Amino acid sequence: MSTEKITVKTEDFWNREHVVEKFWNGLKDGIVYAKKCKECGAIEFPPHHACNTCGYHETEWTTLKGSGVLKSFVFTGVLNARLELEDRNLKYVCGEVELDEGPAINAVILGINRKKAKTIQNQLPIQVRPVFYDMGRYTTLFFELDED
Amino acid sequence: MLTNVKLGKNMRSVSIVGVGATPFFNGVENPAYKGLTNGELFGYAALDAMADAGVEPRDVQYFFHGSANPHVLNGCITPNLQVADWFGMRGKGSISHSEGCCTGYIGLEEAVFAVASGAYDIVLSGCSEQGTGMPDGNTPDHMRTALTSEVLFPDLDSIFDRAYGRYLGGGPGMNHDDWINYYAHENGLTAEQVDDVLNHQAYHFRRNATLCPRAIRRKPYDEMAKEAGFDDVWEFMRSPHNPKMSQYLRTSSDSCVADGAAACIVVPTEIAHKFNANPVEVLGTGASVLDAIVPHLEKKATAEAARQVFEMTGLTADDMDLVFVNDFIGSSAFLAAEEIGYLPKGEGWKYAIDGRLAYDGDKPMNTNGGRTSYGHAFGASGMADIFEAVTQMRGEAGERQIKKLPKYTFLRGFGGAQNVRATILRAGF
Repeated sequence: MSTEKITVKTEDFWNREHVVEKFWNGLKDGIVYAKKCKECGAIEFPPHHACNTCGYHETEWTTLKGSGVLKSFVFTGVLNARLELEDRNLKYVCGEVELDEGPAINAVILGINRKKAKTIQNQLPIQVRPVFYDMGRYTTLFFELDED
Repeated sequence: MLTNVKLGKNMRSVSIVGVGATPFFNGVENPAYKGLTNGELFGYAALDAMADAGVEPRDVQYFFHGSANPHVLNGCITPNLQVADWFGMRGKGSISHSEGCCTGYIGLEEAVFAVASGAYDIVLSGCSEQGTGMPDGNTPDHMRTALTSEVLFPDLDSIFDRAYGRYLGGGPGMNHDDWINYYAHENGLTAEQVDDVLNHQAYHFRRNATLCPRAIRRKPYDEMAKEAGFDDVWEFMRSPHNPKMSQYLRTSSDSCVADGAAACIVVPTEIAHKFNANPVEVLGTGASVLDAIVPHLEKKATAEAARQVFEMTGLTADDMDLVFVNDFIGSSAFLAAEEIGYLPKGEGWKYAIDGRLAYDGDKPMNTNGGRTSYGHAFGASGMADIFEAVTQMRGEAGERQIKKLPKYTFLRGFGGAQNVRATILRAGF
C-alpha cells in the first residue's frame, strides 16, 4: 500500500494565462490586445509570450487603438482567394497594415473594389480603422479605410 | 525579426556523392505511371542514389524521409517506417520530416547535420510526394484518385498559423503577389510590364524543361501557341489560353502539381572520392522562417538566409555560377535571384525579359524548368533541384548543360508559409 499523498494540485503547481483565448475574446468586446516587451518596449502583435523584436523573454499586456495605415495591397484571384470572405460576398484586398503603435501585419481590408483601388494606390500610405467582424463562432480584426 | 545568427563551421565537411530522381508526372492521369506508390517512388530514387554512390543498402546507416503532406496525400503520418523496406533499410534509424514545399532543401540540411556531427558516415536523404492524387478510400496504396480542390484548398490553410494568422491577414491572400507587387512599385513597373516579365521568364524556363526528360511540362510555348492558332507566342501568353490566376500570375507562372521522388547520399568530404569521382560539397545552409502574417516575408527571409550562408562561406553572389529558386510562385525566381545579389538590384526583370536566366543565358537558373515547368511535387521539389544542381555541377546535363561548368551553386528553398533555406554547393575539388 502506497503511503504517498497529493500535497500540491497540478493546477496550483502550473496555471498560466491563456493568451490566444484572451486575444479573441477581446475582439468580441472591441478590444485589441497586444503585448509589450518589458525590456525594449516594442509591441508584440498579435500577442505572444516573448519579444520578437529584441528577443527578450518577458512581455506584458497592453491594448492597441486598432488604427493604422495601409502601406500596400493586392487583389486576390482563384489561386489565392480567401474562401471565407468570398463565401460572404465581401469586397476586400489583402495588404500590409502598420498599426499606430508600431507593429505591421498582413491584413484584410474591406470595402475596396477595383475602382477605389486605382484612386487610393497613389495615396498610400492611407489611414485605416479597425473592423471587428463577426465570423459566427469568433470575431476577427479586419480594417477599412478611415475616410471620415 | 532578429538577424543576429552567425553560422559556425560544421564539425566536419559533408559532400553529396550520389543522387537519384524519378521524373515528375501526373500519377492519376498518366497511364505509364498510374498505380505507383509512395514506397516504390521513394525506393526507386533511393536505390538510384545508392547506385550513383556505389553503395548497397546495407552500407547506408540512416535515412530521412521528406514529404509535405503525407497524411492527406498518402494516408499516413510516419512514412519513413512505411518506405524503409523498399530499399533494404528495415530496422535502421530514420525520421520523417515535413516543412511544406521547403522539405527537400531541409532534407539536405538535416542529412548534412547527421554526418557533420560524427554520428553517421553514410546517410540517405530522400523526398517523395504524390501531389496529384490521394488515397481512393481505405484501399491499398496503388489505388488512388484525383486530388480535388474541395480537399486541397481547405487543407492548404493548415500551413498558416492557427492561433492568429490564418484568421487575421496571414492566410492565402498575400502569399502569391506581395513581393512582385512590392517590386513593381519599387521599380516603377506597370502591370503590363510585369506581365511581360513573367511571361518571358516562364517561356525561357519552359525551354529548359523541354530539354529535361524528367520535367512534367515540356512542350515549348511556341508549339502551344501555334496549336491554339497564334502566330505570335507573346499574344498567346497574354491570351485567355494563359489565364490570370491572381492579380499578377498567369497559369504559366503557377506551379504544375506533380508526383515524384528524389534522393541523395551524403558522406564526410574526407572520404567522398571513394564513392564518387565528382563529389559536391555542401558548404553551408542559412535559414530563416517567417509566418505568413509578416509583411514581405519572402523577401525578408530570403535576404536573411542568404546573408548567413554568404557570411559563413566568405563567398558572394558573384561567385555563384548557377542558382535554383523554388518558384511555385513564378515571380519568386528572378525576385529571389535579385535579392541574393545574383542579378543587379532593380534589373532582374530585364534579365528575365531577355532570356538571360535560361540554361544558355549568362545568368542561368532553374535549369530543370523550375516549378512552373519541371513540376511541383511539393516536398520532393527541393530534392529534385538538388539532383539537377549536382547533375549540372558534374557536367552531366546533356543538352541543357550550362555554358560554364559550375563550381558554386546556390539553392533558395521556400515553403510551408514559409520556411526559407539558402544552401551553397561546391564542385571541382
